[in-house]
Amino acid sequence: MTFRAQGMRAWLLQRLSAIYLGIYILVLGTAWLLNPDLSWQDWRGFNGHPFVAVSTALFFASLMVHAWVGVRDVLVDYVPHSAVRLVLLIGIATLLVAMAIWSSFILLSVVRI
Amino acid sequence: MKFRIYRYDPESGRQPYIQDFELQEVTPGMMLRDALLKLKEQDETLTFRHSCGEGVCGSDAMNINGTNGLACITPLKSLKQPVEIRPVPGMPVIRDLVIDMSQFYHHYRAVKPYLIVHDPEPEVEYLQTPQQREKLDGLYECILCGCCSTSCPSFWWNPDKFRGPAALLQAYRFLADSRDQAMGQRLEELEGPYRLFRCHTIMNCVDVCPKGLNPTRAINNIKKLMVKDMV
Amino acid sequence: MTLERRKFDTLVIGAGGGGLRASLQLSSADANVAVVSKVFPTRSHTVAAQGGINAALANVLPDNWHWHMYDTIKGSDYLGDQDAIEYMCRSASHLVYELEHAGVPFSRLDNGKIYQRPFGGQSQNFGGDQAARTCAAADRTGHAILHSLYQQNIRAKTHFFDEYFAIDLIKDQEGFILGALVLNIETGEPLLLEAKTTLLATGGAGQLFRTNTNAHINTGDGLGMALRAGIPLQDMEFFQFHPTGIAGKGMLITEGARGEGGYLVNKDGERFMERYAPHAKDLASRDVVSRAIATEVREGRGCGENGDYVLLKLDHLGQEVLKKRLPGISDTIKTFLHIDPAMEPVPVFPTAHYTMGGIPTNRHGQVVVPVETGEEEIPGLYAAGECACVSVHGANRLGGNSLLDIVVFGRAAGNDIIKFLKENRYHRPLDQDSVDKAMARLHRWDAKGEGETVAGLRAEMQATMEKYCGVFRTEEVLAEGVEKIIKLEQRMKDVRLQDHGRIFNTARIEALELENLMDLALATVVSAQARKESRGAHSRMDYPKRDDVQWLKHSLFFKEDRRLDYKPVTLKPISVDSFPPKERVY
Repeated sequence: MTFRAQGMRAWLLQRLSAIYLGIYILVLGTAWLLNPDLSWQDWRGFNGHPFVAVSTALFFASLMVHAWVGVRDVLVDYVPHSAVRLVLLIGIATLLVAMAIWSSFILLSVVRI
Repeated sequence: MKFRIYRYDPESGRQPYIQDFELQEVTPGMMLRDALLKLKEQDETLTFRHSCGEGVCGSDAMNINGTNGLACITPLKSLKQPVEIRPVPGMPVIRDLVIDMSQFYHHYRAVKPYLIVHDPEPEVEYLQTPQQREKLDGLYECILCGCCSTSCPSFWWNPDKFRGPAALLQAYRFLADSRDQAMGQRLEELEGPYRLFRCHTIMNCVDVCPKGLNPTRAINNIKKLMVKDMV
Repeated sequence: MTLERRKFDTLVIGAGGGGLRASLQLSSADANVAVVSKVFPTRSHTVAAQGGINAALANVLPDNWHWHMYDTIKGSDYLGDQDAIEYMCRSASHLVYELEHAGVPFSRLDNGKIYQRPFGGQSQNFGGDQAARTCAAADRTGHAILHSLYQQNIRAKTHFFDEYFAIDLIKDQEGFILGALVLNIETGEPLLLEAKTTLLATGGAGQLFRTNTNAHINTGDGLGMALRAGIPLQDMEFFQFHPTGIAGKGMLITEGARGEGGYLVNKDGERFMERYAPHAKDLASRDVVSRAIATEVREGRGCGENGDYVLLKLDHLGQEVLKKRLPGISDTIKTFLHIDPAMEPVPVFPTAHYTMGGIPTNRHGQVVVPVETGEEEIPGLYAAGECACVSVHGANRLGGNSLLDIVVFGRAAGNDIIKFLKENRYHRPLDQDSVDKAMARLHRWDAKGEGETVAGLRAEMQATMEKYCGVFRTEEVLAEGVEKIIKLEQRMKDVRLQDHGRIFNTARIEALELENLMDLALATVVSAQARKESRGAHSRMDYPKRDDVQWLKHSLFFKEDRRLDYKPVTLKPISVDSFPPKERVY
């Protein structure tokens, strides 16, 4: 995640990540709908497949990027005080990084290599 | 016809207030500017800018029943009573409906709104096909009234850093001009999180533009040019 | 309280096309220039010019500057000065190319060149077939040019005083102009701008008439200042009535509408211009078309319930032409008349439009006044554009020549100022008397109490001018007009403001403007009453013929005693043969 995502890059990343998020949710949602009787074992097995695990990892990465750009935009608009904004940004960044690490731990625990 | 008009006189020491006016002689086809001039005859202190009276000079932008517009091309007939008139939002008020537009003009100047050409000039005109010229339609007609920028929430939040729809429309007017040779420089100067990218396609600018222009489309076109420039 | 003073090499008053073209020339030559404008520059009235700018580029039909010169002289009804006209027409092409290089988004032909349309009074080969000489950016040419010139001034870092109103010129005992006293409209504080040269580019005075195509700001402030500084005004009786203002309302419908193929009809559906100008028809000179319309209406062939207008037919041009070539007026017609010009004809009537007269200048933009033998420049004072009378428009201006006038003579004045600055390197000492006089003009409006209102008196003056100094004039009517305007002028001293605030006091500005207008109204009717002939826009029913023996001369109106003087028309061009006066038919 680029912390100093300047205007153009941030805007582009937000859009590209959105596309990926959309595709991922669509594909996974369709898979779910087509197999309504999925057991917990099947589900875990499916997610353990390296291809799916990488896609999911990418999903979380995209989610973090998307959230970062979006929340940063909101803060830039609504928090004009720069010190307050910086604290909030650091808070958000820490939260997002923590969530990214957490999600990667979960993924690593299910993936079959 | 009833009017409620925002009044503010910095010399009086009084807080801004809303004053009620009533106009008896409403004639068919009367525009809001005509009405304001009549009201000014009642009360000489009522202050607003206006000039051409036909929507080309861009002087009389104001907030009319909650929407920005030009008084001179707003028919009274189209307005719900009492007509509530305020200065356009988001800018310092000098007096009554007159706002300080310095910041707006600053952003306009900052986008270098003039042709930049590095090659030697020909002794005749630069050639430009009708198709190339058509790209400037919907851009060059801007009258700098400020209706768009002052209706844009992004401009309200960051008036010092976000260029605003009017200035960005002008930026694109030169980016789109086949004669201009400063595309790289222009795009670079719009980079960063503020100048261009505070636009969240809210599209208030498109709604209010009295000339029917579309700054949001121009801004999106700038973004497209940036992507093209990047890859 | 001390008066704030600032010093510049050059002061330009007015930020329309003329002022901005001059300031661009000066800024580019590294002169220290201040531009004072009572409105933000792009709100100046140049913005409302529609049809285009004349130049013999020959992009559409064969053309050359000499034919343009002939048309302009004929259009002026031979009252134009031929040296200035030659200068203007010769420079036209170069200056239009320059504007194009500055970024003006001219409409284009398929081969990529600037689009040109036919306009009134244009011919090939000295009176032959119709020419197409008017370079256009759709029907927003003035807007395109004004914005481009302002933008170029941003590039050149010209110093602007936006929303400052000029009160009066400052003049010393020897007659040098030392700058002007101006008023910061926002703060209400006066400011003394000292300058080695001052250029008046304040535009015309369309607000003299009730129904006019002009902006509220067109109050002839520069002309009023000149009169008060003892400078006469030239040819003020010649006021152009544009044939096609929206009837009763005044919004301008460009001559380009007829250039693109529109035509006028009366209530019988007759294309009446064929009777008045068999050759040029609807594209005859503006004075000819305006008189024709007024005659049709007077003789009972007008349209509508009251028979008080004629119709401009555009519906046969098709959506495509209207959208591409006339989008601005199509919008205006829809907004103000709620009709679609592609479906219905448009009611029009001659409407006060352009001040041919003005501050007398030579072709370098220097203001000149008569002396014992010939004339003499006022040192340090220049004028350009509609407020000046060079005179390139004479008794009637051709459409498309006003945008040309402002860029040609804005630039010429700029160039001559640069020369003047080289020879006059230092500011002259300030003349306190003159400053006090100007301050007195401002302070007069501090008088409190009950009295007449500015709006009331202005409305009366405008109505009087319309009634007594319109398209058709007679001795009787003009004499009455003079009397009435004098009476109105005397009532000026009884006018009192109710608003005595300092900050953005528009009432005070309007009072100062009315003072200017009142002087100009007087100049116009007095000059009109004196001229006992019909020439161009000045049409006397009691003297229906042009009289070159007695009246081939410019009139000069002085404020003092309302005195009139005359000076000869320059019939000798710079380098080509003279066009001697002959009968004018279209």
